[in-house]
Amino acid sequence: MSVVQLAFYFMALVTLGSALTVAISKNLVRSIFMFFITLFGLAGLYVLALADFVAVTQIVIYVGGILVLILFAFMLSGKEALEAAQKQSSRFVSLKNLPSLLLALFFLVVMINVIFKADVANLQWLKEANGTQNVIGVNESMINNIGVNLMTRYLLPFEAISVLLMLALVGAAHLSRKEDMRG
Amino acid sequence: MKEAILPQELQTIYLTILIVLLPFAAFILNFLFLNKSKASGWVSTIAILISSIFSIFVFTAIWNGPVIHVQTIWFTIGDSQVHAGLLLNNLSVLMLALVPLVALPVHIYSTAYMKDDAGYGRYFRYLSFFCFSMLALVVVDNLVLFYAFWELVGFASYLLIGFWFDRPAAVQANKKAFIMNRIGDIGLLTAIIIIYTLFGTFDLEKLFGAEGFVTRYSYIENGTWSFYLNHVLHVPVSRGWTVMAPHTVTQIPAIWQYVAFGGIFLGVAAKSAQFPLHTWLPDAMEGPTSVSALIHAATMVAAGVFLLGRVYPMFNTTELNILAAVGCFTAFMAATIALTQTDLKRILAYSTISQLGYMVMAMGIGAYASSLFHLVTHAFFKCLLFLCAGIVIHQIKHVKEDNHLDIDPQDLANMGGLRKKLPVTFVATLIAGLALIGLPLTSGYLSKEGILVQAFEWAELKGGAFMLIPVFASITSWLTAFYVARMILKVFYGDMNLSKLYPNITIHIGDGGWRYQLPLIMLALCSLFPLFSLNPLAHSGWLTGGLPQYGQYTAGLVELMVPVIINVGSIAMLYYAYMAYIKQRDKVAAQPSLLHRISFNEWYIDAFYQRVIVRAVMTFSKALYWFDLKVIDGLVNLFERIARCIAGAAAWFDKYIVDGLLHLAAALVAYIGGIARRFQNGKVQYYLFSMLLAVIVVFILKILIWNS
Amino acid sequence: MITLTDFMVVSAVLFCTGLFIIVSKKNAIQILIGIELMLNAAILNLVAFGKYDRVNNSGQIFALFAIILAAATTAVALAIILNVYKQYKTINPDQIKDLKD
Repeated sequence: MSVVQLAFYFMALVTLGSALTVAISKNLVRSIFMFFITLFGLAGLYVLALADFVAVTQIVIYVGGILVLILFAFMLSGKEALEAAQKQSSRFVSLKNLPSLLLALFFLVVMINVIFKADVANLQWLKEANGTQNVIGVNESMINNIGVNLMTRYLLPFEAISVLLMLALVGAAHLSRKEDMRG
Repeated sequence: MKEAILPQELQTIYLTILIVLLPFAAFILNFLFLNKSKASGWVSTIAILISSIFSIFVFTAIWNGPVIHVQTIWFTIGDSQVHAGLLLNNLSVLMLALVPLVALPVHIYSTAYMKDDAGYGRYFRYLSFFCFSMLALVVVDNLVLFYAFWELVGFASYLLIGFWFDRPAAVQANKKAFIMNRIGDIGLLTAIIIIYTLFGTFDLEKLFGAEGFVTRYSYIENGTWSFYLNHVLHVPVSRGWTVMAPHTVTQIPAIWQYVAFGGIFLGVAAKSAQFPLHTWLPDAMEGPTSVSALIHAATMVAAGVFLLGRVYPMFNTTELNILAAVGCFTAFMAATIALTQTDLKRILAYSTISQLGYMVMAMGIGAYASSLFHLVTHAFFKCLLFLCAGIVIHQIKHVKEDNHLDIDPQDLANMGGLRKKLPVTFVATLIAGLALIGLPLTSGYLSKEGILVQAFEWAELKGGAFMLIPVFASITSWLTAFYVARMILKVFYGDMNLSKLYPNITIHIGDGGWRYQLPLIMLALCSLFPLFSLNPLAHSGWLTGGLPQYGQYTAGLVELMVPVIINVGSIAMLYYAYMAYIKQRDKVAAQPSLLHRISFNEWYIDAFYQRVIVRAVMTFSKALYWFDLKVIDGLVNLFERIARCIAGAAAWFDKYIVDGLLHLAAALVAYIGGIARRFQNGKVQYYLFSMLLAVIVVFILKILIWNS
Repeated sequence: MITLTDFMVVSAVLFCTGLFIIVSKKNAIQILIGIELMLNAAILNLVAFGKYDRVNNSGQIFALFAIILAAATTAVALAIILNVYKQYKTINPDQIKDLKD
């Protein structure tokens, strides 16, 4: 068992543990911060998957943007929502949640089953990639390559995403404007 | 063959119809327009005044003159025609004149007597209705109409006895009168049906006229009652002749003749208060006193005697003997009861019964004319007595109300010494009382001595036990003298008992106005001899000459001796009474002996009826009621229960099987709808859950089951 | 050596957790977090497979796109949640059953 594997298991444990805490926790604030930890854990997993740029982006956008947005929304939705959120049943496996839990477990069983049946290690294109040395090395930096690819190969999706992002921002601003400003 | 009716006869007929219809018009007028008005009294009085004037015309036209008999076909049932018409002969017009002549003073008297009563209008309505019925009763010419008006006078009497229907006693009394009259009415109806069965007609003249079927063409032989007509018979119908088919023979068993007599006797006994059915009359005194004077003394109660007069030819010797015996017994019994009664009106009521007994007895011994003569004279003096009693009671009632005393205004014990306060009333009572006793110079002497003389002559012919009848009649006459004396002495002589009992009361009483005094004077004059006979010592009047005689008499010593003995006895009784009540020398009559108790309790006849007949009827009714309740109702209830069970089963089937299927279908639809509805509950997460569930099901099927 | 299967198992567990949160939670913000978890599970797969494309970097670049899109959708979603709260005074999706009249 190498250090890398240990790191992976640790990161996986942190990620899944915090995610489950989010699911279990009745306290909205706590679950939001647990979600914060989950995102960090995921960033770690990305690093272990040799995608350091994605990991950095994950931290910057998610933690710096989305999480702050969620906190703002939570605070703006007021005291009442907070109280309502805290009044929820404290038991994890309550009768009310049982169908949801069963559904999630079914999905898990099906997915694990599919994953093991798929036998991804022996996929054709993976073998070809191994054969042509098309695998990212541990010491390689992909940031340069990603930048080139974005501006050449993936320019059209990149621009489309930009427009979409702008539309989303305009939409968000329109939706959250004050009511009496319409007239 | 029918001759035209002469003009003067036509006039008489119209007058008769007017006489009858005027009170009816007054009744209608009062009924429709003058419900509360005081004018109703005068409308009735004027109607009866005109009626009485016309009735005198009719009387003079018919009396000892031609009989008028007109009729028209009333209705036809099958082949038998029933006629309606007028029959005016001596008997009819006598009654036709008598009724309005007595009714007129009573009407005048009533306008004063009833003036403070709340039911003033109602009273005159009933009174006019009674006059109409009574007048119609005496002039109709057939048994059906006779029966109808017989019922109507009974009904009017019922209304007037119960005039003060808020008094329980009055209600009881009119119920009693009604029920007893019902018994008599059933008897009369039975007799009418039997007579019609045999003779096929209701016509009074055809049946009982001088040439009538009953009089001439029927006889009892070998146990059958036959009606045999072997020649053409002309029955006079007012100058015309009705032709009967010859050779008519009808026969029925003889027993029916006796049944018919029994029926008529029951009718007479109920209406004229004869022995078995007399007890309603004393109770009928609950009505207003003026009503008692008119209906229960002078007119309606005489209707029974009038009926006897109408159907007289039907009776055979045995039946006449029964009539005589019953009449004599009634007269004697009622007189003994009258001796001890303390209620002024009850004394007079029993005296009326007693005098009616005389009349029936007179009918029985064949003194037909004297009986009707007595009816007429009695109507006047008894009416007068009642009106006087009314004044006395009225005045005592005033005293009672003025001083707020709790006394019975009709009780003799509360009277006395009224002679000076009520002079006119006193004189009128005295005249009427003497007439009732039958002392010379009064009308009563003329009629009563006639009856007694004929009774003695009749008994002499028959001999044996029949002697008892005139003897008891004489005793009755003496008893009459005694109770009349007792009544007059107690009411008018002596000291005012009320003043003794309540020393500090004020007594303001008097004879009252002309509306009280005029009727008294009129009737008092009619109670004296000159109206009926110029000879004050005769024992018949001009009236008796106009009526048929049926008995055979041997004029003799009896005719002279009887009046003398009777009158001497009566005067002795008067003296004895005077001694007993004024001088207080002898109190034998006041002792509560056995005889006194029997008399005071009215021979226990009412108590006997109450104990035996009423109780038996009540027990029988209760048994019937029980039968009805348990058996008939039980059957009905059983059917009901069965029907209910069937219905219940049907309802159950309907509810659970038929409806159940429908409900099941509806419930299924509702259940499916409910399931489908739950997917549309508007919860986003539920939709999501459902979607994911579907996805996972597809996955499970596809991957885990299908592929493997 | 970390295999692809390891990543995929972690991703599956993460996805199911997000799914559970979405279905069971009664708070719109928590549901949003659940959505983010599921998105991240997908992104993890992209990244894990992106290791085998050194030249084109398609996995990583689409992961980047996904992250950006997630940020955009989150912004819009939060704006919607705020408006819903203004309208209904609650963010419990069970109680938001009526359309705006």
